[in-house]
Amino acid sequence: MKSKVLLVAFLAVVQLANAQKYIAKTGHVWFYSHTPMEEIEAHNRQVVSILDASTGDIVFNLLNKSFEFKVALMQEHFNENYMQSTKFPKSTFKGKITNLDKIDFKKDGTYTAEVTGDMTIHGVTKNITTIGTIEIVNGVITAKAKFKVIPKDYGIQIPQLVENKIAKEMEVTVDIPYSAN
Amino acid sequence: MKKIIWFALAVVLIGIIIGIFMWLYAFRKADISVASKKADIEIKAADLLKNFTDNEDTANKTYLDKVVLVSGIIDKISEDSTSVSIYIKNPEDMAGVMCGFNKAAIDKSTLKKGDEIRIKGICTGYLMDVVLNKCALEK
Repeated sequence: MKSKVLLVAFLAVVQLANAQKYIAKTGHVWFYSHTPMEEIEAHNRQVVSILDASTGDIVFNLLNKSFEFKVALMQEHFNENYMQSTKFPKSTFKGKITNLDKIDFKKDGTYTAEVTGDMTIHGVTKNITTIGTIEIVNGVITAKAKFKVIPKDYGIQIPQLVENKIAKEMEVTVDIPYSAN
Repeated sequence: MKKIIWFALAVVLIGIIIGIFMWLYAFRKADISVASKKADIEIKAADLLKNFTDNEDTANKTYLDKVVLVSGIIDKISEDSTSVSIYIKNPEDMAGVMCGFNKAAIDKSTLKKGDEIRIKGICTGYLMDVVLNKCALEK
C-alpha cells in the first residue's frame, strides 16, 4: 500500500517536472476602440494564463469585470449592456502554439509564435488563429500578441445610438509575463 | 412681456444646469480605488475562497460588484509599471485572493510576505483565485 502511494507521488512529481508549466496571474490584456467620435480603452491586469512549454498548450482566462475604464459610465455600459458580465463573467482562450519546434524556452530571445484555438467571449466560442511573440529575457517568459476582435462575431449588440462611438473592430493587446511553476 | 422673458430665461438656465449635471454624470472619472467606500461584506480571505470553490454561481450572486473587505496573510507582492498586486493566501491553501491596486492608491513600503493584512476591493469573480480590484488597504 505504502509503496503504491509512494509510486503515485513519484509519478506525479516526474510529471510535474516534465510538464514545464508556466503560470501568470497578473497578466495584462487591454483593448482599444478608435472612432473619429471617441477613443475608448480598457485595461485588465488580472489575467490568468497557463503555458505548457512541453506541449504548447496555452490558456488565457480573464474576468470581464476586471477591465478598468477611465470613465465610470463606460465601464457600466460595457458590463451591463454589451458583455452582460453577470451572466458571462469570464472570457477565455484555450489553444496551442503550433510552431513549438521553433521556440527554445531555455534560450533568451524573441520568437514568433503561431497560436490557434478557441476564444469564448459573451458565451460565444470562435476558432481563431493569430501570430504572437514569446520573449525570453534572463529566462523570464513573456507572451505578447495583438489581434482584432469584432464584437458582432460574439453576439454583442451595439445600439444604433452609439454606433459611431464604438469601433466595429476592437484592437486587443495581450502582454503576459510568466513565472515558472 | 417681461414675465415671458424671465420665464424663458429661467427655462434656459435650468436646461443648462441639467445639461452640466448630465455631462458630469456621463463623463465622471472612474475611482482609482474604493478607499472612500464602505465595505458591503467583511470576510476572511480563506472563507471567501471557500465560498467560491464550493459554489461559484452562488458566490458570484453574493459577491460580484460588492466592496468586500478581506483579511489574511500576504503570500506575495508583485508590481508592474502602473499596478501593484497583493496575493493573500494561507500557507496550507492551494489558492487565495488576488488583490489589484492602482500604484497611486497604495504605499507598499512597509508590507512584506507573512504580514496579516486587511484589504477592501471590488469583487470581480473567480479564476484560479478570487479576484478583487480597485483595492485599498484598511487599517
